[in-house]
Amino acid sequence: MIATTVVPVRRRRGISVPIETERGTFAMRLVILTESFLFIALFASYFMLASNKERWRIEELPKLNFAIPMLFVLIVSSLVLHWGELQVKNRRYAAARIALALTILIGLGFLTLQAFEYSAHWEHLTPYTDSYGSIFYTITTFHAAHLIVGLLILAYVLVLPRYAPALESPYRPFHVAAMYWHFVDVIWIVVVAILYIGPHL
Amino acid sequence: MSAGTTAVRQRLQEIWETPKTVYGWLSTVDHKEIGHRYLATAFIFLIIGGVEALIMRIQLARSDQSWLTPEAYDQLFTMHGMTMIFWYAAPILSGFANYLIPLMIGARDMAFPRLNAFSYWTFVLSGILLYLSACLGQSPHGGWFAYVPYTSTRYSPGFGMDFYALALIFLTISTTVGAINFIVSIFRLRAPGMTISRMPLFLYSTLTISFAILMSLPALTVDCVFLELDRRWGTHFFDSRLGGEPLLWQQLFWFFGHPWVYVVFLPATGMASMIIPVFSRRPIVGYPFVAISTVLTGVVGFGVWLHHMFAVGMSDIAMSFFSAGSMTISIFSAVQVFCWIATIWKGRPVPTAAMHFAMGFLALLVIGGLNGIFTAIIPVDWQVHDTYFIVAHLHYVLIGANVFPVFAAFYYWLPKMTGRMLNERLGKWSFWVMFIGFNLAFFPMHLAGLGGMPRRIYTYPAGLGLDGLNMTATVGAFIFGTGILLSIINFFQSLRTGALAGKNPWNADSLEWETDSPPASYATVHIPTVVSRHPLWDDHDEEYDPENERVFDEGRETLSTTWLDGEPQSIMKMPEDTISPLLVALALMLLFAALIFQWMWVALAGALATLFAGYFWLWPTPAEKLEHELEVELI
Repeated sequence: MIATTVVPVRRRRGISVPIETERGTFAMRLVILTESFLFIALFASYFMLASNKERWRIEELPKLNFAIPMLFVLIVSSLVLHWGELQVKNRRYAAARIALALTILIGLGFLTLQAFEYSAHWEHLTPYTDSYGSIFYTITTFHAAHLIVGLLILAYVLVLPRYAPALESPYRPFHVAAMYWHFVDVIWIVVVAILYIGPHL
Repeated sequence: MSAGTTAVRQRLQEIWETPKTVYGWLSTVDHKEIGHRYLATAFIFLIIGGVEALIMRIQLARSDQSWLTPEAYDQLFTMHGMTMIFWYAAPILSGFANYLIPLMIGARDMAFPRLNAFSYWTFVLSGILLYLSACLGQSPHGGWFAYVPYTSTRYSPGFGMDFYALALIFLTISTTVGAINFIVSIFRLRAPGMTISRMPLFLYSTLTISFAILMSLPALTVDCVFLELDRRWGTHFFDSRLGGEPLLWQQLFWFFGHPWVYVVFLPATGMASMIIPVFSRRPIVGYPFVAISTVLTGVVGFGVWLHHMFAVGMSDIAMSFFSAGSMTISIFSAVQVFCWIATIWKGRPVPTAAMHFAMGFLALLVIGGLNGIFTAIIPVDWQVHDTYFIVAHLHYVLIGANVFPVFAAFYYWLPKMTGRMLNERLGKWSFWVMFIGFNLAFFPMHLAGLGGMPRRIYTYPAGLGLDGLNMTATVGAFIFGTGILLSIINFFQSLRTGALAGKNPWNADSLEWETDSPPASYATVHIPTVVSRHPLWDDHDEEYDPENERVFDEGRETLSTTWLDGEPQSIMKMPEDTISPLLVALALMLLFAALIFQWMWVALAGALATLFAGYFWLWPTPAEKLEHELEVELI
């Protein structure tokens, strides 16, 4: 992916190697590794608590009428963001910024949907109802918190000055932020599968 | 040295030096400076935790004493455990890693110097946050593993356990970013030619525990979040009346907790693998076996956590699996121990103070490993669970395999850091006093435990046959403390009167001894190249560079290489000194302190402050901007 971008080569007395650009990507991979284990711990807790299911009072199965559209919203946001990444690679920066802004708007739309989703659920389930309510709201709120962090990172890349037109920037921050955003989207797929669809099976 | 070298040195010095002002002190990102601070801060935590232990030993010296109330005693042993495990044992190893790894791999700094500073500031501020609880007289009191339901608000009112949960979450930030930094640095910054099979063994252990940290710490974070939500926000994770599960706490805690044991143990073995061969005057025997068993310890370390919970009642198959896992892991430690013994056997050992401590580590590790096998066997574990036998075991492992190697490392690497030799004679005295005191203090605890003395009791009645054992343990603890004091005296004496160390006082093999003592801010003038596992023991001149191709004197830069073969790949630009890591850490401290007391508006302010300080940190500086524009012209 990165190989196609123009990388500046700095010539020094004899030695000629490019400027390093990948440590941020490497670090973001490790962030995603540790964040994955955060959600693994949360889902493991869900299953451990679910093994007490006779004590869970799931009066109503989680409704899918919000969760599935929210899933599509996030997938669309990822596609838009990825399209933006392709634009920035081809140095169409204005288009890339539009894609970024669009992604942020779609992300905000997701949060709005989630607010409606919460208020629909709240009538028969709160975090204070029982351990099911506690873990349900904790996992979804953890996801929302990660989404908000993702939005803040994207917003930062959006306003980042484009200080070197022909260089990797803002490709590199864009790429790293996009990795995080795609990760948060993938987590929502798992959340929908385990928390929303699972109980219906 | 060529005539131009002095000029080059001066240029590098100007590029890398931090001004000696207050602002410079607060904003430095130099890994050596941060390493110093890590070591000093963690050592202070060792002393605080040690004093807490001595106070407890005075209380337990005789039966039926009550000058400490049960509540005070509970707070003391909890703070002792937390201080030692979280704020001493791992951070002191981070300190060595911070200081040594860039020098060992021939880099000028870590891959993320500012993140490194942030890691230090969050470490020290989270420790301060924890000890604020002591100022309020409401320290955590549920033991370092804080089992529910005892730690719920019903049985633990007050803010003690809130301090526990939030100070730990705060600390995990520090540890996580530190681990990421170590991994990227070790994979990307090794000197040209330092292939993965030529890495010093200390790097293998740091790499292993860094991955273990990334995979295990989130479980602790989640656990502490659940605890805090249950305590203050009305959820029911651990409340069995409403579908909660108290064992969930234990599962998550030990999923984190046992890998953490290796986090505080493996780098110490890595340091022993560096020190023992040097003082045996030969390469280590079985380098690949030591490296592989280090990595496998980290892997299998994720499959043993249930052995902390054999007494809670689980299926036989689960317990058998984890019992087998616990015994398997001792094989990897045994491989390392046999490699060290073979190294000494085949070499010509030099009995320096550092070697004394390394040998003491070997002896204590074997004892701690053997009584660990006791506890891995389920029937024996049921018998000794929650007795002083466990206290004896964990101190043999943690003091034997952390404190002793750390002292070996101090005697070995302090001459590099300060430029002055420590007094060998006093060092050996310190070792023997510590070794005898340690065994006097902790060996009787095996017997007290087998005799039925439960752990975590603030006193015990007379006539149970425990008085003599406990008195011995208290005397031993004070002797052990005296031994540590001797080393502290030795350190301060060496700063004033120690002999000058020179570049390589031990005639050691690894790259950090190629630098001056103490190292210049830029480490070596030329980025070294490596052709063997023992760079300073072969004929290759690491700094041979007649064309000055590997000087990099046009700004803060170092060379990045491929992760497997160590081929030069790119030039890594390094950031200038900045105060923003400190600002972000302070903002985070505000956030976590506010969360303890549920001042939600203050917490919001803390979150926003963190955000804006973070943006400030990441915003490109005018210098960077200019730099990039210049490069456009270069193409």
